[in-house]
Amino acid sequence: MDQQPPSLLHIHVKLLGFSLHSITPWPNNPSIFYLNGKRISRIEILGVVTSRDYRPNKFLRFTLDDGTHSITCILWLNHLTSPFFASRQPATLRVISDLAKCFADDIQFGKVARVRGRVSSYRGDLQVTVSDVVIERDPDAETLHRLDCISLGRRCYFG
Amino acid sequence: MASNAIKSGALVPLPELQPSSEFFKEGASLRVTGKLQEYSVETAIAVIADQGATLKVDTQHLRELSFRIGSIFQFIGELNILPNNEAILQARTGRNVDGIDLDLYYQSLQQLRQFQAKHMKNATT
Repeated sequence: MDQQPPSLLHIHVKLLGFSLHSITPWPNNPSIFYLNGKRISRIEILGVVTSRDYRPNKFLRFTLDDGTHSITCILWLNHLTSPFFASRQPATLRVISDLAKCFADDIQFGKVARVRGRVSSYRGDLQVTVSDVVIERDPDAETLHRLDCISLGRRCYFG
Repeated sequence: MASNAIKSGALVPLPELQPSSEFFKEGASLRVTGKLQEYSVETAIAVIADQGATLKVDTQHLRELSFRIGSIFQFIGELNILPNNEAILQARTGRNVDGIDLDLYYQSLQQLRQFQAKHMKNATT
């Protein structure tokens, strides 16, 4: 019996920026996308912060440049005011909001950031809705991420 | 994805940045890495070197970056070609990457180019 390949739907798929060109939306669900025939929803990218548009208590929009593409990322900062989050417990919302503000402070121009989040679409363009940020200080972090993405691309995502 | 207003800096080793190179174009967005050979506080012009090749970098727009001769730096910016065919990179970001494994870095660029070439080829077939 042929085994089904592992699902990529609930993991953060490590991708280089140019691979985002291979992602297509799934008509049945706006939060699910196709990558080479495989369904994905979350990705992990790493690059230099090359732009930063900060709107206090609303969002931080920034771009990550990994040398192959500039990737737009959106970090929401409106957890305490948006009706989208109204159903959550206030204490939980406050923790999420404080964490998002910490991430926003960390994302500074010229820094190298590892970002995890959901693939999303805004006005026809793909972007990443950020759920986690780590500022990388290891000068080899980008090199290692690049090699990881290439290896995973060859063996798993595009193999 | 539609083209982004912020151009990605193509990863180019300094020895490849020759007048005959495809990357040697006015306005080309590049990312370069090299050891700081010279720095002028007056002009904010840095000279970085790698594998015998050098490049001038205009750092006037960079903030909170300490320039130390002998340290390795990485810059993202746009190439400006002067009338004498000399190039200078107008940097928009820069960082100290002391400790970087340059051998591994260049190997990763080779792997990246192979991967991108195959990926692009598959995308068109």
